[in-house]
Formats: sequence, C-alpha cells, structure tokens
Amino acid sequence: MADREPDRRGFLKLATCAVGGGVGLVVVAPVLKLLDDPSGKITVTTPTEPIDLGAIDRFQIGAEPTKVEVIAPLVKDAWTAARNVVLGGAWIRRTSPEKIEVFSAVCPHLGCGVGWEGKQFGCPCHNSKFAVNGDVVTGPSKRGLDALPVQIKDGRLRVVWVSYKLDTDAKVLG
Amino acid sequence: MSRLGNYLRDRTGLGTQAATISGGASFAYVFGWVLLFLLLTECVTGAALAAFYSPSTASAWASVAYIQDQASWGWLVRGLHHHGGGAIAIVSGLHLVQTAVFGAYKKPRELTWWIGLLLMGLILAWAVTGYVLRWDQAGYWANKVEVGIAAGTPIVGDKIRALALGGNEYGNLTLTRFYMLHVIALPALVALGVVAHLVLARRHGSTPLKTTTTTGPRWPDQTLRNALAMALVFGALLGYVVSQHGVELAAPADPSQSFDARPLWYFRWLYELRVLAGSFEKLAALAAPAVVGGILVALPIFDRGEDRSIRARRKFVIGTLALLGVIAALTLSSFIRDADNDEREDSMEKAEARALHARSLAAINGVPATGALDVFKTAPMWKARTLFEQLCKGCHTDGKDRLGPLIEPGHGDRAWLRAFLADPSGTAYWGHTLLAKDTAAMAPVELPAGDRDDLVEWLHAQSGANDVIPAKRDRGQTIFDKACDSCHSRQDGTAGTSAPSLFGLGSRDYYTSFIGNPKAATHMGDDKSEMPAFQKDLSLLDRDALAEYLVWLRTATKQDVDAIGPL
Repeated sequence: MADREPDRRGFLKLATCAVGGGVGLVVVAPVLKLLDDPSGKITVTTPTEPIDLGAIDRFQIGAEPTKVEVIAPLVKDAWTAARNVVLGGAWIRRTSPEKIEVFSAVCPHLGCGVGWEGKQFGCPCHNSKFAVNGDVVTGPSKRGLDALPVQIKDGRLRVVWVSYKLDTDAKVLG
Repeated sequence: MSRLGNYLRDRTGLGTQAATISGGASFAYVFGWVLLFLLLTECVTGAALAAFYSPSTASAWASVAYIQDQASWGWLVRGLHHHGGGAIAIVSGLHLVQTAVFGAYKKPRELTWWIGLLLMGLILAWAVTGYVLRWDQAGYWANKVEVGIAAGTPIVGDKIRALALGGNEYGNLTLTRFYMLHVIALPALVALGVVAHLVLARRHGSTPLKTTTTTGPRWPDQTLRNALAMALVFGALLGYVVSQHGVELAAPADPSQSFDARPLWYFRWLYELRVLAGSFEKLAALAAPAVVGGILVALPIFDRGEDRSIRARRKFVIGTLALLGVIAALTLSSFIRDADNDEREDSMEKAEARALHARSLAAINGVPATGALDVFKTAPMWKARTLFEQLCKGCHTDGKDRLGPLIEPGHGDRAWLRAFLADPSGTAYWGHTLLAKDTAAMAPVELPAGDRDDLVEWLHAQSGANDVIPAKRDRGQTIFDKACDSCHSRQDGTAGTSAPSLFGLGSRDYYTSFIGNPKAATHMGDDKSEMPAFQKDLSLLDRDALAEYLVWLRTATKQDVDAIGPL
C-alpha cells in the first residue's frame, strides 16, 4: 500500500488538473469566441454608392477649397441603423467646368482633420502641409491628400467615401 | 518547473503548509467551491457581454438582440450568464440548507454564516439589477413591480425609488444606474464578502461530519472532488442552456403595452405570497424577506451549545426546513397557477410572436437609432399597413360594418376582375355600397369566355403588371371599345359619360389618385362615392405608400400577408 500511495496521489493530481482545466476551457471558449466576433466583420457599414454633395454650381472655378460634410443616408452600426450619419469631411476644389477634385479631410499621416490655411492645407496634429492640389509640401505625411472618387451627374457632385490606410506611401484601401 | 514552484512558494508563502481537512476529504464540502466557480463564470461571461452591451433606452434592447441573434456564440454566453445566476441560487440554497441542518453556523463560525447570508442577499440583488438591463418587456415590467415594492418601504420609499430610477421616471438614468450597480458596485461588494467568507472558512476549517481525530490532505483529494462537482454542475448548466438556446428575449420595453411580467424564478415565492396576501401585498412583499432573513440571522443566536447533532437541535432543524419548505411550496404553487391560466398562455404566445418579429426585423434591418420600438416600423410596408388598419379596415375588410368592396390578398388580379365583371354588385364588390342599390349600378358583363378573358387581360394591363400577354390585351381593347366605352373611358384624365375612367386601373398612380379623391369626375363622380377623399388627411407620400401596398396585395397570398408579420 505504502508504495502505491505516490501513484494514487499522482493520479489524483492529474485528474484534478484535467477536470479543472477542462471545465475552465469550456467556460472560457465561448467567451473568447464572443469577444472575437467583431474581428473581420463589417460592424459599421459605409455606403459603397456615391453620396450626393450638392449642385456643382455651389463650387466656383478657381475659388479657395470648400469644406463639406459627407453624410451617408443610412449607416448600420452593429445593432443600430441610423439615418443621415456624418462620415467625415471633404475639401472640394473646382479647377474647370467639368473637373472637380475632392480630397478626404482625413490626414493620410495619422487621421487628424486637415484644414485650409489660406494658401495650403495643414494638419493641426503633426503639422503636415499639403499644396492646393493635395501634394505633400512638408511631412511627416508620406503621401498627399487622398482624392476621393468623384462623379458628376445631372449637375450634381457625388463622391464615394473611402477610408484609406494611414501612414503608408501609397493609397491602400483601409 | 520545481524551481519555479519553489520560487513562488518562497515569495508568496502559498502551499508551504500542507492544508488538511479534519475527517478527510468529502463531497459534502464541495458547495462553497462550486459557488465560487459559478461566481467566476458570471464574471467572465459578464465581462464578454459588457463588451457588447449598450446601457441606453434607445439601444439597450438592440444590443442584447445583437448578442442573442448576431454575435457568434452570443446566445450561449448570454444563456450561461442568465442561467448561471439561477444555478447560483440553487447551489447557495443547498449550501445554506446543509449549513443549517448540520449546525455548522455554531460558535466559532457565526460570522461566516452571517457573511454568507449577506452574500446571498447581495447575489439576489445582483440578479434583480441584471434582469432590467435587457430592456425588454419581461425585464422592464418586472423591474417596475420590484421598484414599486421597494417604493412602499416606510419613510424612505420615495427616496429609494428616485435613486433606483435616477429621477422621476424610467429612462436613460435608470439603465445607467442599474448597469453601475450590476457591473461595478455589486461585484465589488460580493468580492469583498466572498474574500471575508473564505478567510473565515479557512480559519475555522470545515465542520467535520463526525467527531474524529483523523485528517486528510486538501490537495489533491478534496480539490478533485471540488473539480468533479464543478464539472457536474457546469455540465448540467451547459446542457440546459443549449437546450433552451440561451435565454428568451421579449419584445422591446413598451410602456404603452402591458405585459404579464413575472420576477426571476427565485423570487417567485415572494410573488406568490403577494398574490395570496391580496390587499396586504405590499406588506407581504416587504415583510416576508425581512422575516426569513431575520430567522436565518437569529439561528446561531438561539441555537447555542456544543452539540451539533440533529437529534439535539430538532426544533431548529425542523423549523428551518419548514421555512424553506414553505418557500419551495409557494414557488411551486406560483408556477402551477400560471400553468392553469389559459388567458396568460394566450397573451404569452402573442408576446412571443411579437418578440420574434422584433428580433427578426432587428437582425435584417438594424434597430433605428430613434429607439428600439421603432424596429417594428422597419417591417415591409409598415406605414401603409398601419394606415390601412386605421383608415381603411372598417369599410374594406370582412365584418358587419363593411361599407365598401372587400380588400384582401388577390384584390384586383385577373380572377378578381373576372368575378367582378360577372357580378359587379356581388357582396365582395359593390354589394355593400349604396351604389349597388342604385339603378345606375353597373350590370353584369355578359361576353363569351374568350372575349371576357381578353377584356380581363386589357384591364389587368392597366395596372402596369409585367406579366401581360400583349395579343390578348390588344383584343381586349377592341372589346372594351365595343362593350364598355359607352359608359367608361380609357383616356387619362377624361371621365366616362356615366362611369369612371379605367386608365391605369390598379396601378400605383391610379390608387394614389383614387385614395386622394374618389369623388373626382374621373373616378366615381361626386354623387356615387361614399368613400371620403383623403387628400387633406393623408400626405402624397402616405397615399403613395397605401397605393404601393394595394399593388403588392394584388399578387400576394394570405401566407404572404402573414409572413410580413404583425404591425
């Protein structure tokens, strides 16, 4: 008997760890699965179709860039479906009767809001400067302002709202 | 491994003394550990739920519906969290009964007992604060009753209510308050209580079942028994949760729509006591927990002496068991009462249908940011169906008060047109109107079957339907010109000589125009229509919505109507 005692205790210890660990895993697994639910899921929808920014007559040829809010008619955000949600700001510059450039106001460096400073665009957070055509004048931003896909239809300006990856050399979909 | 073990033992002092149990390991001692395990399970599942939950009246229900129906395994975690609370109620009840029956509350363990009772109270409060968070009909109305009872407390009742609700009425502050209590205040208090309970239990050790001098090691002998008991309880919990697909979620809280709410099952004995107490219900609901709690608190004070044998403490054991027996009997009686109540069963079935409807709409359309109840408005043609219910139903659906033609699935389709032509004053058509009794009423159209079907095709084509057979339609127009043109017109905006223009009959524009003013010359003409003109009361959008609904109804079946769900 005395020789067997360590065996028995060893078995009991192993069994305890196995049972305890097993139960622990079964408790934790669904919790981790639930916490991981949002990864890889589109939890906030952004419309893929162009969003109306108003009549093109609003924007005068050669004028200073104008800022507009890009408003989605419907955004599904996890459980909520909200109407008229502001997605972000955009800078509009009309260079000719048919040509309008729309820059996302999201700084390509780290995502702050880019403003117009009279002669050029500037980001208040890290002081990147961009020329009126969107090119970088001084860093730290690695690329110029992100131009958004533009569509002009029936005299109205429409733009597709796209979020690009931040702090990369080239525009990459976010 | 052993170096790490030695390091930890040295630095923490844990495991340096081999803990022993007087009388050896036993399954009798597992209850406390199972409770601790269940409490930890509540914390872990609760943390995951908190990562999804939104404590605001507009979105609380929506976020819970999201957890239940959309997030992966959300229903399982939510079910474990909810029914885990029930498991805690059962196991802590057993723990309490065991302690009471064996007199384990006696000196020197009175403080352990009292802290245990306090913990039980806190855990019950924990459950109450959790039930309201889902902001569905069940949680909302149960909470109204609970707060109502608490508000009946002498002197401080109003204060309690105001503090619980965060003001004068149910609203955002109610949810944020109960959320704070549920996830911060009560967990902290329970954690403190559990630590104190454990420290004292360790200090005094388990109460041996028999007086003995032998001892056994705690690790691994007792630990294995604890682990096996945890596995057993968790297995049962998991099985139940899976079989129930988690826990129900009723329709969003609706202050305008009453709900026959019940408290969580572990409060059902109090609920039953209230029912039995009649006009003394508030007194019963407040006094009963105080009496039961008071008796349990008083046990170690009155049951003194060394002897813990049941025989020597017969009156205390019988008294305690009788008290718990009454609680069990009241609980059972409450469930039996509900099971016998057919009316309740009906209303619960309706409530469940409404809940499933709301949840399926939430999953498909999302819940409007304006509030959870607006989820119903995202149902197909909700606006039109609501207007129809309010304005059209009385005269146009079957019932003794019907004054106009019957409007139901298939209204205006080919079969309907054919039957109408055969008997325009039939009961489903103009039969209930004054027009049917007029000498000017339309006479049955008698045509050879082929010609009649061609005419029907032409009439059907007016709706703009996309399944028209052109050849038949064109023949039908010739027949119209011969047989109908003397009274009707087929020109846009031109009235017939003595009957409506049939241009666009059954199309969306036609219905919009007709609903706006049936008395217009192009429609029924002033003297022939009893139907009111809705152009003043209904906006063009509303009329268009109704028109869209009527067009949809033409090709719909009864099943289609049922499938789009209730309003």
